[in-house]
This record gives sequence, C-alpha cells and structure tokens, in this order.
Amino acid sequence: MIKKPHALSRRIYWLTVVFLFLPLAVLMLYSFNASRSFKFSGFSIKWYYSLFSRWIAPEKIAAVFPELGARELAQIVERSKNIWTAVRNSFAIAFATGLVSTVIGALGAIGLSWYRFSYKKFLQGVSFVPLLLPEIITGVSLLIFFSSILRLKLSLITVLIGHISFCLPFVLLIIIARLEEFDYSIIEAARDLGARERDILFRIILPISAPGILAGFVGALTLSLEDFVVTVFVQGANSPTLPVFIHSLIKRGVPPEINALSVFLILFTVVLILSIRNFIKYIGK
Amino acid sequence: MKGRAGVLYTLPLMLWSCIFFIIPIIIVFIYSFLAKGLYGGVVWQFSLKAFSALFSWSFFRVSLVTLLIAVLSTILTLLIALPVSYYLARTKNNTLLLALVVIPFWVNLLLRVYAWIAILGREGFLNHLMTFLGYRGEPVQFLFNFWAVVIVHVYTYLPYMILPLYSNIEKFDFGLLEAARDLGATHMGSLVRVMLPNIKGGIVTAILFAFIPTMGSYAIPDLVGSTNSHMLGNSIAYNIRTANNWPLASAISLVLTLISALGIMIYFFLNRKPARHKVREAP
Amino acid sequence: MKGSRVRVEVVAKWFDDFQALKDVSLDIKKGEFFSILGPSGCGKTTLLRIIAGFEDPSAGLVSLDDQNVVPLPPNKRPLNTVFQNYALFPHLTVFDNVAFPLQLRRENPKVIETQVRKYLAMVHLNGHEEKKPGQLSGGMKQRVAIARALISEPKVLLLDEPLSALDAKLRQSLLMDLDFIHDAIGITFIYVTHDQSEALSVSDRVAVMNEGVVLQVGTPYQIYEQPANPFVARFIGENNLLEGVILSKNGFCYTIDTDGLGALKVTSESRLWEPGQRVLHTIRPEKISITKTKPGGLSKDYNLLPGRTFESIYSGFQSKFFVHPEANEKMQLKVFKQHESFLERGPDISWDEEVFLSWDADDGYIVEAIPQ
Repeated sequence: MIKKPHALSRRIYWLTVVFLFLPLAVLMLYSFNASRSFKFSGFSIKWYYSLFSRWIAPEKIAAVFPELGARELAQIVERSKNIWTAVRNSFAIAFATGLVSTVIGALGAIGLSWYRFSYKKFLQGVSFVPLLLPEIITGVSLLIFFSSILRLKLSLITVLIGHISFCLPFVLLIIIARLEEFDYSIIEAARDLGARERDILFRIILPISAPGILAGFVGALTLSLEDFVVTVFVQGANSPTLPVFIHSLIKRGVPPEINALSVFLILFTVVLILSIRNFIKYIGK
Repeated sequence: MKGRAGVLYTLPLMLWSCIFFIIPIIIVFIYSFLAKGLYGGVVWQFSLKAFSALFSWSFFRVSLVTLLIAVLSTILTLLIALPVSYYLARTKNNTLLLALVVIPFWVNLLLRVYAWIAILGREGFLNHLMTFLGYRGEPVQFLFNFWAVVIVHVYTYLPYMILPLYSNIEKFDFGLLEAARDLGATHMGSLVRVMLPNIKGGIVTAILFAFIPTMGSYAIPDLVGSTNSHMLGNSIAYNIRTANNWPLASAISLVLTLISALGIMIYFFLNRKPARHKVREAP
Repeated sequence: MKGSRVRVEVVAKWFDDFQALKDVSLDIKKGEFFSILGPSGCGKTTLLRIIAGFEDPSAGLVSLDDQNVVPLPPNKRPLNTVFQNYALFPHLTVFDNVAFPLQLRRENPKVIETQVRKYLAMVHLNGHEEKKPGQLSGGMKQRVAIARALISEPKVLLLDEPLSALDAKLRQSLLMDLDFIHDAIGITFIYVTHDQSEALSVSDRVAVMNEGVVLQVGTPYQIYEQPANPFVARFIGENNLLEGVILSKNGFCYTIDTDGLGALKVTSESRLWEPGQRVLHTIRPEKISITKTKPGGLSKDYNLLPGRTFESIYSGFQSKFFVHPEANEKMQLKVFKQHESFLERGPDISWDEEVFLSWDADDGYIVEAIPQ
C-alpha cells in the first residue's frame, strides 16, 4: 500500500492558502463591481475611474457616473485628491525612513557584529527590545514624549521619527544576519595586510554587506508603508499617511474606490517584493 | 577588535535608542504616577489614581477579554501553522508554496482588515454567498463581535507563526521520525513524541510572535470589534484621545510593557542553552 | 637574509579568569622555518595572534629585530598571516585579493599587475585571476591566501594551521610548496599546527606547547629523539614509557631495574643520573626488532625480552604489534615493523605468537628523574 505522503498536512496547507487569499480575492472582485454595495451586480471599472478622477476630465467622470449630481461628482474628485496626497505622504515618509534607518542601522550592525566596546551588551538589549514590544507602546510613549517634553508640533516629522524608531531594530536584525555569514577573520586579514579602519569599511565591510543593507532598506520601506498604529498616535492634523487615510474612510463607511486602490497596492507589493528579492539574490552572488 | 571604531559605528544607534526609546519609556513610567491634567497632559503631582483605576471592574473586564482573545487566537493560529509549516518543510521545491503564505503578509494590514469587513458584514460577501446557496433568513451580522476579532487576528498572525516554525522544522532530522516508527510509534505518536520536543524553540518563538502583538492590538478590535470586545490597546487610545487621561493611559501601557517583558523573559528562559564546558583557544 | 628575528619574552595572556599563556619565551632566528606544535587549546593560536597583533599580551614583550611591536596595530607590523579558514575576501576576484595590500598602498597599476602575476605563479595559480573565491577548491583558496600574504614582502609570515581544512594528499603537496617558497624567499616562517608530521617534516626548529607553556624547543630530531619531558615523549610519535630505578652506571650506559621487566640497558648522553634514582625512560616502537626465533650474536649492550603478541595490525607499509612481555603479562609494549623485501622480512608474525623483542641500549632514552 502506498500512501500519499503528508496527506493531512497538505490538505490543511491548501485550505490555509485559500483562507489567506480569500480576502484579497474578495477585494479584487468588488473592485470590478458595478454597484457600490457588496452584492455583485455586474462587471465595471468605474471605481478605477473614480480612484484616478483627479487626473481625468470632469465630463468623462460625469459620463461614467450618469446617476450622480455635480456636488457628488466634486466629492469623488476631492476624495481622489486626498487618496493620492496620502499615497504621496506615505511614500515620502517611507523613503526617508528607509534612508535614515538604513544608515544608522548599517553602522550599528557593523559595530555590533564586529567590534568590542564597553556598552555593547547594553546596546544589544536596548536596540532589540522594541522589536518585541507592542507597537502601541512605541506610539503612546513617543506621543507623550513629543507633546509634553519636546513640545514638538505633531507633523510628518514626528511621524518620520516614529517610523525610524520601529524600523531600526528590523534593519539592524537583517543586516546583522547578513554580516554573520562572514567570518571575522576577513576583517583581521584586511587589517593584517595593511588596511586602516577606513579601508576596511569601504573596501570590505560595505561591499559584502550591500545585499543586507539593501534588504534592510526595502524592509524599512515596506514596514513604514504598512504602519498604522504608531502613525495614528504621532501624526499631525492635516497630513495623513495612506493607512491612516484608509482607516478614516472605513470609519466613515467604505467608499468603493478603496477596492480599486487595494488591487493596485496588492499588485505593487507583490511586484516590489519579487523584483527586490531577485535583485538581492543577484548582487549577493 | 579593540579601539574606538566600535563606539563610532554604534554611536548614532545608541543615541537614537536612548532618546526615542529609553527616555519615552521612562516618561511613560513617570506619568503613570502623576495626576491627570484637565485638557490632556499631566499635573506634576504624585498620585496613585491611575493605578487604583487599574483595579476597577471595567479594567479587569478589558484585561480578561484581551487575554482571552490573545490566548484563543494564538492557540488557533498555532493549530493551523504547525501542519502548514510541517508540510512546507517536507516539500522539496517549496519556493512558490512559501511565497503563497508570505504574500498576504505584505499586503497592508488596514486593507486586510477592510477585506474582512467586506466579507463578514451584514451586507457582506458571506451573507450574499449564503443567500446564493439558499439561505432565506434575515442577514446575519458576523462583524463587530468577539469572534470577528479572533478570526482577523488568526488571519493576521498566521504568517508570523509559519515562518519561524518552518525554519525550525526544516532543520529537524526527519530520519528520527522513521527511527521512532521503526521502534513501534504510530505516525502521530512519532510526530508528537519526537518532533514536537525538538522544535520547541520554534514553537516558543512562534507563540511569542503572535501573542505579544495580539495583547497590544489596537487597529483590529477598533475596526471589527464592538465595545464588548475592546482590548487594552483600545483603552490606551481612548484615554489618550477621548478621556484625556494620560496617567491612566501610561499605567495601562506600563502593564502591557510588563506583560511583554514577561513573555520575552519566558522566551529566553525556555530557549537558554545548557551550560557547556568551554575550551578556549582564542575568542 | 630578508627575514626578521622574532623574540617573545615572558608573554602571558589572560582571558577573564583563564590563563591561555604562561610566561612564554621564544627566540626565533632570521629566516627560520619555526613551528609551534601542540594539542588544541594549548595556547599556540593565541601566541600567534599576539605576534600578529590581533591580541595584546597581558604581560611580556614581542620584538622584531629588537624593536618592541606590542604597541603597533596589525597593519603597522611587517608581518602577515595565513589563516586557517583562508579569510579570502568573498567579493573580490583572485587577482584583487592578491592585489589588495598593494592597492592599499596606491601602487602603480602596472607594478601591481606584474607583482600579482609573479606571486600567483609562485603558488601555481596563473589563469585563475578572474575567479571569485567561491569558485575555488580549498587548496586553491589557501594558495591565494599565501600569495596575498607574501605580496607586500613581509619580514615574517605567520601560518595558523593553514592546512588543517584540507585532505591528506593535498596537505602533503601544499606543505612541500610552502617549504620551497620558504627556501626561495628566505623570510621567517612561524607555523602553528597540531599535526606533528607537518611540524617535523619542514621545520628548522619546533616548539612544543601544552596548557600555555612551552615545554621544549629544538630541531625536529631533538624533539623526537630527545624529548625533554613525559608530555613531549608521549605527544610526539608513539612511544613505550617505562619507569625504573638505576642499578648501575658505566660511563654513559645505565642499567635500570625497570618495573615489571627487570634490568634493561639504556645509554644517555647525560652523566647526571645516579644509581638509586628513579627515572622515566623510553624506547620507540620502531626501534624494537621483533622476531620469531631468538636472535643470535647480540652485543652486550642489547636488551632481549621474550613475549607473546596479543594484537597485530597490518597497515600496508608496516605492521604494528602489541606484545605482553613474558616477565609481566599485565604490561604491553608497542612494536612497529617495517615491511621490507620478502627475503629480509622473515616468517610472518601474527596474533598470539611467541616472539622475541630486542633493541640496542643506544635506542633507549632517559627522559627525566621521577621524584620519590
């Protein structure tokens, strides 16, 4: 008797994949729904029109939504503008977060993996604990710190500081993991062959840790784009990031453009992840 | 290596960690012992009011609900993640299979939660599906309750659990299972008695990865829960934004921090390496 | 001579509460091939790392040609290291790895090119310039590492178990190459190893270390034939260690009442031993001749012991016998017999046979007096 190997676990695996993809599939389905409710009543791409309406001629929008009056059409365009402003905010924050946390994180990872100094144990503990604390703690403690101690006005700057704070431990972790693939003896060899500290950094450490640094940058980028909890506490009044804006839309009753936007974001993440992975594999060789 | 280079490399990290992590946590600690300001903020005056509020019935209820949601969704997630990771570890050429599990993890959390609203709502996908399959009763509200919160947590933290479990099971020597069966164990028996003890570290990591963020969850109960399924995170947010009670928010944050610290300590306790006699040639 | 004299003076090294080196002193001559031999954990690598500058000594002095180098960082010392795990830069080609020290000094690219080719030729690696370390075998990697360490013309080359990650055949050929390179360029080599055959075969002198202490420094011949203490006698090669009390002394020839075996004759180049002293003496297994018939015509300085083989191990070029001497069945002696031509080999000896062991008093050696 030949039994199929792992028949039970295989079934559970595929059921899990269905469970994981069902919500994404439902979003895609509704993005092409002709009505604004969750009852599927025919195929349409009008929510994509509404999503991009800020760049589309008003007559065209009016043609797509013949049932709507001028005020409602203006609302659609207004919403489209707000969505894309939020997208712009999110990406600006994400890139800045990626840059700053990669620089600080890469230097820190190099120091922590390959050097000895007095406060090393302390720093190892302190820089990894935020990884295991609930995000809301980071958010609340930063909010209190900003508003009552520093008396900073909450804005995109405070959001940026918050994002860097929770991205740093991840970036550190990723780059340290890359550096651990190499034996410390190559640093000793370089020093032995006459390299100064500067030569070691630029000729040895940075080239070999480049894939890790890039992976750290992309990691910080996606974490920052993703974040809602920290942002919602440290944000200013009038410049929401995309997750915060989506949250406010959901609270107000779910306009169907979100479905269309979701499809774009899902495709964007998949393409980003796959291309970056291949790129990192390529330069890691 | 000796010298000052290590300090130079880690100085920015050290400064950042001190200014934006340690100091804020200390301030939260101090704030929890101060009196509440009228319009947010605090009055610099020692007070244990925030801590006495922690012993109220309503706070006890929120803590209990939070713990229940966290424990329940962690167990459910683990029950799904174990066989899934086992299957992934035993399958060759599993890059695609692994990607299928990871991709949803990269989609924005808010969108995933929103998708569950679209599925579970009174007007949602599930009700339409039930009608389509012949259900003729009143539409059912699956949203805004305890179970909706649990389901979305399970959904969210599945990949967090699968990845550490998979990387742990992958290192397991499956030959041991054959040895156990050869010695008379059943298939399930060999998995439970031989594999589980050997992947203990991965299981502990996975539980921690799901349990701690769930304990501090805020967005999920805020969007799919009701007042009956509010969690500690919602209490913190409520006291910060609506009730303007910063000392209480600080005190609750402190409780959450302590719970997380406890989890981390248990983790290191369970994962500690047995002390071994060290032979040292060079460090 | 292009090499340096390396002196290590009463160097000690502590790691927290563990003392890795205890007052080690060595005087390594210019151009010498000097090996440091010892079991793992004996402190030999720590000593090498202190000479290279990767570790500071807790006490003591390291000097090159009478200049103290302890304050100098590794990149300022005129010595280079070949590491056990090669330590090639994974992101650079073979050419760039070897060129690394010269590029740091901003040498003229033409000079670099000719120098790199010269040193790659020395280690037989021409034609592999554009490969990355990942594409090379272990032996090739170590050759690159050797070329890289030599290209900046250091005065001393430190080798930290450079062959231990390679298989036996490759080890042999790379060791011979190292010997040739040493002869060709004439700098000082300090070679750390736990493998005695490597150390004995190429070194001018060997230092044997154990537990942070240098036990003996000498030529390979001295280390093997005249071990200074029981550890060296046991650690280097195989040996039969015997204890007994000196009965009489006749010039350099001593008669020792050996425990369990009775009177045995041993010559010693030292006249310091006195009758009545208890001493440790040794006889190497390959110096004992083993025969089935009682050998005739022995001089009076020969020892003869009848016995019975209880184990024989055939290993191609030689056989090993383990023999219980008749005088004491509880003791065992090791005897190695080379397989020579058939005519000289005599009848085969196998397990559980009566045999005669004989050896010249000259081949015995008194290691040390045992305090009573």
